[in-house]
Amino acid sequence: MKKLKVLPMSLREKKRYVGFKVIHEKGEDFAHEDLIAAVWNTLLDFYGEYGVSNLSFQIVKNVWYEKKKMGVIRCKHTEVPKVIAGLGLISRLGDTKVTIKILKVSGTLKKVKEKLAIEAKRKDY
Amino acid sequence: MHIHTKFSEGESTVEEIASMAKKLGYSGVCLVYYPNKFKEKEKLEEEIKNVSKAYGVKIFLGFKARNVRELNFLVERRKEYDFLLVRGGNLNLNRKAVETPEVDILTHPELERFDSGFNHVMAKLARKNNVAIEFNFREVMITSKATRSRILKNLKTNAMVCKKYGAKMVITSGAISVWEMKDPLVLASFGTLLGMSIEEAKKAISSVPEEMIKMVRERRSKKWIRPGVKIV
Repeated sequence: MKKLKVLPMSLREKKRYVGFKVIHEKGEDFAHEDLIAAVWNTLLDFYGEYGVSNLSFQIVKNVWYEKKKMGVIRCKHTEVPKVIAGLGLISRLGDTKVTIKILKVSGTLKKVKEKLAIEAKRKDY
Repeated sequence: MHIHTKFSEGESTVEEIASMAKKLGYSGVCLVYYPNKFKEKEKLEEEIKNVSKAYGVKIFLGFKARNVRELNFLVERRKEYDFLLVRGGNLNLNRKAVETPEVDILTHPELERFDSGFNHVMAKLARKNNVAIEFNFREVMITSKATRSRILKNLKTNAMVCKKYGAKMVITSGAISVWEMKDPLVLASFGTLLGMSIEEAKKAISSVPEEMIKMVRERRSKKWIRPGVKIV
């Protein structure tokens, strides 16, 4: 299949990457898929389909620290507060009570990954 | 700011709250109790002191008045604790709260109301008497659909009025459990949704509470007599 030509830099949307950590109840666990579903459902509930389309929001699926429950979300650079406030509305994943901590907001995935790598080495939580 | 423990309608202990506050990057939290626990103040203070030392998080003791009688009771004993909060929602109590200089925070003035429970007259009084208006994240988090949209609309109106008349704003998690405590960035982002600029929202979770803490220290010193009067 023919690949779509990429837009020139000037026309591409500016994005931000938000690194986050899910702090959850001890002894309880949840799957990454549960989190993805919860994030989508919460944002769709709160902002609606049209609102979410403006966020240019997506979960970076290949960056997920299963043990430390850390991941990355990508969104439009002007909509970062909306995405973060939306994430804050998540208080449960299935039966597990959770709260979300924002670790880093950056324009490059590399910087966020670096921060997550540092956090992954921390032993205090 | 504004967290309830197991001892006051909440679900978590002081230790759990301090531990979560540290994880989320808070340097201090304010635990809120009702005046019926006032007799056990010494015990609460002792517990708070021990936990605060163990976790390295400053913990402040606040009391929340639910009616005029409780407010008068707490105003009389203002020097004995850190923060005085008033549970909003009732128009008379909202008005009384912003008229009382001893009050630190008027919490959720729009609680269980169809209107915003707060107007320009109250905003002017709040500014004059240095009373901060609370924007409670929990109210939005636990509601949905029509109720949530009504609350958001009221919160936006209150933010607009506060901005216009220069009344102080504080954004709190209003948590009753550690799982309802939110990252400071989440609360600041919530402020921007209500029409605050990012600077105003950050101020509402950092410098406004900081100013209040300064005031608390001053108030608890022996030189303080009442708002505007101290021994020099």
